[in-house]
Amino acid sequence: MKKLLVALTVLLSGCTVVDAYLMTKYDPNEYQIITGIRAEAGHAKTQCDSALTSRYNATKISYDTQTFVLYSEHIPRNDNLLAAAKALDNIAQGLADQYKQEKVSPAFCKIKFETIETSADKLQKVIGGRPR
Amino acid sequence: MRVEQLQQQLGECFNSSSDANVQAAAQTTNQYTEMFKAGQLQKNEYIQLLSDMHNTNIINKSAENQQVMENINLAIGELISLAMLAG
Repeated sequence: MKKLLVALTVLLSGCTVVDAYLMTKYDPNEYQIITGIRAEAGHAKTQCDSALTSRYNATKISYDTQTFVLYSEHIPRNDNLLAAAKALDNIAQGLADQYKQEKVSPAFCKIKFETIETSADKLQKVIGGRPR
Repeated sequence: MRVEQLQQQLGECFNSSSDANVQAAAQTTNQYTEMFKAGQLQKNEYIQLLSDMHNTNIINKSAENQQVMENINLAIGELISLAMLAG
């Protein structure tokens, strides 16, 4: 037992161990928000041929990714996820801004929603894998 | 630098790296470039998609960091259980 503890202490710096031990616990609300974003993006990517529907979808998902950032912002020791939430929000805001400015090509719309979907899937795994 | 030269460099990057994320990024960039050249993407859309790769990189790193933390957390939990059993 002592050997195991010594090995762990030698292998890892003190801060890493403390960070890992105190890592943010699973939050069902956070998980619900990111699951919603993933589902929404998966559905929206099939509607890119309709400019009007896509514009609505892009605006809606940008509100949801913003909500995700705001929700995650004040959770202690959540810097890792917050950086990723902001990156996801940047992707979604970019799409919404594009719809505000000009005509959007269906290929671009599809790629953006696919990127949001795969990114949300990764973040869902991150949140779902947290200790309970 | 011409687009073709850039594509060639990306191809080299794709072939030389063993990192799955780098390979995926090189492949995706190439795909976007081909779509732009074919007129399927507008210039500002193409630029935005390339910028998004920086954002997806942040998300990938976050997922990797989390995995490391989870593994350490699991190991600590098991050590605590073992210590309690040892009395």
